[in-house]
Amino acid sequence: MRKLKWSALPALLLIVALFLAACSAPSGTTETQATEAPAAEETTAEEPAAEEPAVEEPTAEEPAAEEEGDRQIATFIWTQEFDTLSPLYTSMWFSTITYSLWNTWAWNFDENLEPVPVLVTEIPTADNGGISADGRTLTFHLRDDIVWSDGEPITSDDFVFTYEMNVDPANTVSSTYPYDQVETIEAPDAQTVVVTFTEPFAPWLATLWHSLLPAHVLRPVFEADGTLDEAEWNLAPTVGAGPYRFEEWESGSYARFVKNENWWGPEPAIDEIFFRFVPDDASQVAALQNGEGDVGTFIAYSDVPTLQDAGVNIMTVPSGYYEGWFMFLGDDLIPGHPALQDVRVRQAIAMALDRETLNQDLLLGLTKPVETIWGGTPYESPDIVPWPYDPAAANALLDEAGWVDSNGDGTRDKDGEELVLVHGTTTREIRQDAQAVAQQQLAEIGIGLELQSYDSNVFFASYAEDGPAYTGELDIMQWSDGPFFPDPDHYYWLCSEIPTDEAPDGANAQRICDEELDGLFQLQATQTNTEERIATFHEISKLMHDQVYWLGLWDDPDVWALSGRLQNVKMSGPTPFYNITDWTMAE
Amino acid sequence: MATVDTPITLATGADALAPPLTFRQMAWRRFRRHRMAMAGAVILILLFVYAFGGGLIFTAERANFTDTSARLQGPSAAHPFGTDTVGRDVLARTIQGGRISLMIGLMAAVLEIVIGVVVGAVAGYYGGVVDSLLMRLTEAMLIIPSLFLLIVAARLVGGSVTWIIIIFALTSWMYVARIVRAEFLSLKENEFILAARSIGTPTSQIIFRHILPNSMAPIVVSATLAVATAILSEAYISFLGMGVQPPTATWGNMLDGSYNYIESAPWLWIFPGLLILLTVLSINFVGDGLRDALDPRSRNV
Amino acid sequence: MSRYIIRRLLQAIPLLFFVSIILFVLMGQMGDPIATMGGRRVTRPADRERLTRQLGLDQPGYMQYLYWLVGNDWRQIDLDGDGVPDTTGTRRGILRGDFGMSLMKRGQSAWEVIWDRVPNTLLLMVTSEVVIIIFALLIGVFSALRQYSLADHVITAVSFIGYSTPIFFFALLSIYIFSVNFKRWGLPSLPAVGMFDPQVGRTPGQVALHMILPVATITFVSIAAYSRYIRSTMLEVLNEDYIRTARAKGLRNRYILFVHALKNAALPIVTLIGLDLALLLGGALVTERIFAWPGMGRLFLDHMQRFDTPVVMGILILLSVTVIVFQIITDLTYALLDPRIRYD
Repeated sequence: MRKLKWSALPALLLIVALFLAACSAPSGTTETQATEAPAAEETTAEEPAAEEPAVEEPTAEEPAAEEEGDRQIATFIWTQEFDTLSPLYTSMWFSTITYSLWNTWAWNFDENLEPVPVLVTEIPTADNGGISADGRTLTFHLRDDIVWSDGEPITSDDFVFTYEMNVDPANTVSSTYPYDQVETIEAPDAQTVVVTFTEPFAPWLATLWHSLLPAHVLRPVFEADGTLDEAEWNLAPTVGAGPYRFEEWESGSYARFVKNENWWGPEPAIDEIFFRFVPDDASQVAALQNGEGDVGTFIAYSDVPTLQDAGVNIMTVPSGYYEGWFMFLGDDLIPGHPALQDVRVRQAIAMALDRETLNQDLLLGLTKPVETIWGGTPYESPDIVPWPYDPAAANALLDEAGWVDSNGDGTRDKDGEELVLVHGTTTREIRQDAQAVAQQQLAEIGIGLELQSYDSNVFFASYAEDGPAYTGELDIMQWSDGPFFPDPDHYYWLCSEIPTDEAPDGANAQRICDEELDGLFQLQATQTNTEERIATFHEISKLMHDQVYWLGLWDDPDVWALSGRLQNVKMSGPTPFYNITDWTMAE
Repeated sequence: MATVDTPITLATGADALAPPLTFRQMAWRRFRRHRMAMAGAVILILLFVYAFGGGLIFTAERANFTDTSARLQGPSAAHPFGTDTVGRDVLARTIQGGRISLMIGLMAAVLEIVIGVVVGAVAGYYGGVVDSLLMRLTEAMLIIPSLFLLIVAARLVGGSVTWIIIIFALTSWMYVARIVRAEFLSLKENEFILAARSIGTPTSQIIFRHILPNSMAPIVVSATLAVATAILSEAYISFLGMGVQPPTATWGNMLDGSYNYIESAPWLWIFPGLLILLTVLSINFVGDGLRDALDPRSRNV
Repeated sequence: MSRYIIRRLLQAIPLLFFVSIILFVLMGQMGDPIATMGGRRVTRPADRERLTRQLGLDQPGYMQYLYWLVGNDWRQIDLDGDGVPDTTGTRRGILRGDFGMSLMKRGQSAWEVIWDRVPNTLLLMVTSEVVIIIFALLIGVFSALRQYSLADHVITAVSFIGYSTPIFFFALLSIYIFSVNFKRWGLPSLPAVGMFDPQVGRTPGQVALHMILPVATITFVSIAAYSRYIRSTMLEVLNEDYIRTARAKGLRNRYILFVHALKNAALPIVTLIGLDLALLLGGALVTERIFAWPGMGRLFLDHMQRFDTPVVMGILILLSVTVIVFQIITDLTYALLDPRIRYD
């Protein structure tokens, strides 16, 4: 007994020690912890004593210290933790959409997808002289009252620095787009930025200046280290430019953003944005149901009724993503299934799917069928006739194409080849459900569907890595994709994007090289005149729809869950938090 | 099998007056006395009848028949266990899923035992460099926490039934190998083996006819428990999205798809959940009974 | 004794080498860390080409292993993609304490990424282990004393049910009952996720409250293994001659139980616990994921998802080393407790 007691003692001590360590980890006020009195507890959250020098705030005043107890904290439940916060190093959606909170786009998009200037005085147009006659040069005029959260003014130098860091080969940035399209960038004065592209660059409005790097903080780091790869700012961006500023981020647990007292815009009503990382979907739903979270995103359609029953509001926000089937046509290097070469077979597939019912039953009517990847935007041709659900017509088309069931096994065939297609997608539940339904519907017109599903990082592995999407293992691939929303630009269907052994990184997984389409895609990217570009896209969308290169299943909006306490929330796909300063919380 | 049937005198004293029993009779007696093990065995037989017998009536085609207009319906005469998110019959899916789950369990266990026995036997019998190489490999595999290893392997191969069986076996043969090796080390110097060797019995015959039967007890016990572990592991990696992928049903992936409906459609989780629990529980009881019966000295759980 | 320790440590070197090769081969085949990089869209071809080169993923597998093992600062690498290797590598390799930079949490070394999680994981796991051992001792001893009684059967059945339940299932069900529904019914409910309520702050009370469900889950599913083991060990000891002698001498039952029986049963139990201690560092994969506990198990899953080889390898190697160390410690403890065992 005595022996056991003794062996238990170190364990208990260890627990106590860990406990205290866990409780005080980032805020580090050990004196408060030692008392353990409930009265002292509130202060720990309020006054995070910065222990790391890098996190230290130049502003002496402690915000919100006076409103102790009734601080309004909105808790966001994020199912994926940020990989990093630095705009240079992440392409993760859960990370990039936070920029409008703490780093700010040069202009946001409102719920009607109209640009709202933030850092600039106006959006450049041909009329106001912001866009040059040849469409290559853009001139941005900055507001003169904008400052970083540490009080330093934001100037054109920060824009130039941001560009330089994005394209410097010493930085292993996640994407150089769209800065790799830029020829020169100049700062004639502190409030003017002039960007010249190598070619007229149509998608600039949706892709440029999603974030800004503070030159006065990061340039010394770059000069000292020769790279920004290991800058502390990446994981603790203490200097930002949004209505909130970064406060702390604890790995795996949470990140906090508090009011930026140097923000020049309207003061937000909510004091703190608290991100909690909850990797499991079912736990996320539970947390939203019982009030542990106020905002959740990437909600599965099937969870919507449960949340609504619990008084949680659901907001669907068009995001430019569309779930669809990518038909693998193949080429000489990797031949596709012969049936898919025939446009009639592809059209038959389009008419054999009851997409309306799929949307109503599986997606609970929250979505609707789409015809092209530009569905619901002005870029989709008005002449498109949606594919109807018409198995009889589908059967007739297949008969006409010569695919008949000659051996009586229930599946059509031609020249000894069975019409069995391999369909692959990722392991998301809704996709696997849709797969199962599609299998049955295609079986009714004599097309066999063999189903595969993969983890998304395996599914999208590159041609060089033998990813199933690129190697011709699959005849039909289903995933959700979209243009550089709200811009319509897309590069998947360029002939030059077909991956080969010499250039294995191309994105044209379907290996479609349609010369007419290729020419149109190249043309639109350089059309800075909106009307002309829309006309080109009408041709593109009509062609792609009629050829059934891509078959739309449903539009895939972002599904947000907002607790009943939150009010005045508006969202847009590109910048969901553009009006965060208007958000309020009822008690 | 001669050695197994040789009467073994056990120093229990309880059966002193009864005629000497063979090892099998002794084991059967002890097993029968273990009431939970007997109950487990009966339930297990019923479960096999359910999955494999039921599969004759409820074919895979029926289990995969979708009808989105009849999705998430509660138990009824047409669908005794209700329907799932795309209107498939849950009863048919538990039956078809049971076939796959039980098959994964059985095949993984068999494969695991085969690998373990071969490695253990070769190492134990030959000794020397072969032994130390194989044992280093075994130890290396044992050092990596098994669940982590399993997940890494599952990520690697994706969700086909065959591959899942293979990785279960490849990540769990080490214990068997160790047991078998130890038995071999202790048995190979025994007189009856030395005798067999001296009259020129071929090596394979010595291994399979003389030594292996004598180390059967621990192998049988581990094999039984391995079935349970494999079924649980299948559910486990399904939860992490790496298991057998739908539309192929397994109890594990049926359970995985059911969390969003804990309250709104409880039939989705109750049936596969109960079946997994019953199966694993019965196997564990049977394993417990077998251990008591075959190998009274051992006390691993 | 020290010679024994040194020998064991030397033996561990080839073992770890073996482990690292097995793991690296597995990791290298698995997937593409820059396929999507957590984005919703496939990585742009130009970026993919550049990142593959900059992150050294264009190197053949054995070179990547070599770099991981001994670093690449002895070699010129091609960073800017002009085909000329003209930049000196900066990696020092795991043998020189450099675990590499995380491919996911860019800008942080894998070691820092891992180290951040150690306290949280240990807090959860050590607490669970203590709870498990206390309950397992009570249950094990009790059912050994009342072998084959009704209570023994009931306890056995319940602990076997825990042992046979998929852990995630129990975890989600408990969230649903104690967190969601208790709240709905107006009962005092337990929090489902995280370590504390931001409105209250990170206080010991909050952390303890948030630990209840995860600890209960881990305890429920793992208590059977210990309690069954303790039961059978106790049964064995209770049948030994010296216990019978003690009984015959008329010593009090409780005295016999705690002083003689438990003391002797402690040895195998300590072994079992000692070997399990190493695994505590690995955390509880699924429990941490469901209850959003920021521990090592979740780190492993998250970084596995993105094929972050340096971090995943780092975790596995760290765990392997811990297992080896604890094996040695367990052996030594064994020798300490049992004077019959000597290692020299």
